[in-house]
Amino acid sequence: MEFNNNIPIYLQVMERIKQDIVSGKLKPGEKMPSSRDYSYELGINFNTVARVYKELENEKILFTKRGLGTFITESKEQIEDLRYAMAKNLIATFVEGMEQLGYSKKDMIKFIEIQYNNIERIE
Amino acid sequence: MSRLIINELTKKYYNKIALRNVSLNFEQGKIYGLLGPNGSGKTTLMKVVAGLHKQTSGHVLINDQDLSYKTKTYVSYMPTENYLYPSFKVVDILKFYKDMYKDFRYEYALDLLNSINVKLDYKISNLSSGETAKLKTVIALSRDADIYLLDEPLNGVDVLARDTIMDIITKSYGENKIIIISTHLVSEIEKLLDTVVFLKEGAVELFCDAEELRQERQMSVEGIYKEVFGND
Amino acid sequence: MISLIKYEFIRKYKLASMILITMLALNLFLLTKGAGGSMSFLVVSLLALFVFYLADIIKMYSDDLNKKTGYMLFMTPNSGYKIISSKLLTAVIEGFALLLVYFIFILINGTYIIISTGNEIDYSQIIKAVDNLLSGSLGFNLGHVLVFLLAALAFLIAFITTVYTAMTIRKSIFSEIKFGGLFSFIIFLLINWLLSFLSSKFYDIITPYYNTVDTISGTGRVSAGGLAMILLPMIAVLIIQAVALTGISGYLLEKKINL
Repeated sequence: MEFNNNIPIYLQVMERIKQDIVSGKLKPGEKMPSSRDYSYELGINFNTVARVYKELENEKILFTKRGLGTFITESKEQIEDLRYAMAKNLIATFVEGMEQLGYSKKDMIKFIEIQYNNIERIE
Repeated sequence: MSRLIINELTKKYYNKIALRNVSLNFEQGKIYGLLGPNGSGKTTLMKVVAGLHKQTSGHVLINDQDLSYKTKTYVSYMPTENYLYPSFKVVDILKFYKDMYKDFRYEYALDLLNSINVKLDYKISNLSSGETAKLKTVIALSRDADIYLLDEPLNGVDVLARDTIMDIITKSYGENKIIIISTHLVSEIEKLLDTVVFLKEGAVELFCDAEELRQERQMSVEGIYKEVFGND
Repeated sequence: MISLIKYEFIRKYKLASMILITMLALNLFLLTKGAGGSMSFLVVSLLALFVFYLADIIKMYSDDLNKKTGYMLFMTPNSGYKIISSKLLTAVIEGFALLLVYFIFILINGTYIIISTGNEIDYSQIIKAVDNLLSGSLGFNLGHVLVFLLAALAFLIAFITTVYTAMTIRKSIFSEIKFGGLFSFIIFLLINWLLSFLSSKFYDIITPYYNTVDTISGTGRVSAGGLAMILLPMIAVLIIQAVALTGISGYLLEKKINL
């Protein structure tokens, strides 16, 4: 994983885990690597990973079973909420950017209708 | 419980002041970056803590003890210079460490050297600078010490060896250990760091959590480093 | 301490074995020149060994103080006193080892000289000579030799500690001064001057008492015990000097060193 050092690394790791959950790369109930292993895997600081796990637990996206490790939430509802929140974030960024370019709401919708099939998808 | 407290430390040399009233408190379970250009006092600070230089004034407390030969038991120092006996083979260096330090993990060192492909019968004087750097890091981190001082571990090392060295450092992290890494190559290492210390002309310019710094300043540690020290 | 001494020797065994091999080769070469060659080898090798020894014991400490490889030693959790004592012991052991080496060369070349001059080796003659020595009929006996050796040892130890202390002082109190080698030598001379001043004061004090001690036996010869009595103040001064200087060096290494 490449990091942008201008943004707190824990935020970037949190974002990536969330994306992997929503996209299905990480399955509900799946066990996460230990903080130690994960920090080694990502080549980042141990405490950063510990913080990521803690913050994601607070958001109810991860949970810890004592002595067993950290797991991804099994609640479909929780994951749906996450997907919804992330989509909302994306659209907010999109709308803000488009407004700066001078698009009205109507124009934006029209633009999407026309452009949807032409947009090059970034893998 | 590992603890390193530096209190109003000053080190004067005959024609210059290397450290000015440095006070720092290091906690266990964290990796610290000691950042600053050459001549900012990083090496001097490490040498004082390692007991190789005597401070002019101020105190250093290691696990609540004043500096002495006894505190060397707790400190594993990796000098930036090539300090290994040139006539020794790699295996002789390992044996030396095993004989001198009770906490030296011989098997652990063997495993690490094996994984980075440094052979035991290599002679020190024939090692490349990358191999020397890797060997020095392995040796320092193979001690089960409380405090690790790594002076410029990435200096003069190619990109691949840098990755290896950073891997070894991450692998050696422990919740009861303090790891202090000095460097002026900030971008390479900043994602390993919990806390950064900026040393400027021997004085502490900044002592701050790396993530907080990025959050507050919307900038990488390297960016801030360049702001403070310029592009050198 | 044993570990420290062990590694001192591990570090120098290559150089030492090279010197020995060179000496052996030189000896074999000179043996082809006959007895004269053998004799000159004994003279040259004594000088060579002595110079090597002196250079080596100075280098052994100076390298650790002045080169980066010294970190290997000074990072270890050993007190300054332990480090300086182990250096000193290493130097003494090395001295004995070289003496032994030279002794072996004497034996080899001595035998050769006797044979090549056409004489048979007469062991009874040798035994007789030793016997003479032991019975004291030559005027001195093994006791005298022992006393001399002891005095020489005390002198050697005092000398080495003076050299080492000079280097320690320069690397601690005067660590900023350039021309370190020369400066160490000046300190060495100053210490020697101070020590001879102090010891002469000491001798002045004890001489009146000492002159009353009778060391000459009835035969007009000095017995081994008498010799020991004569040399005792000097040996005592040397030992006190060595202990004091080792203490000073250890303290400076512990409290003031800047490597």
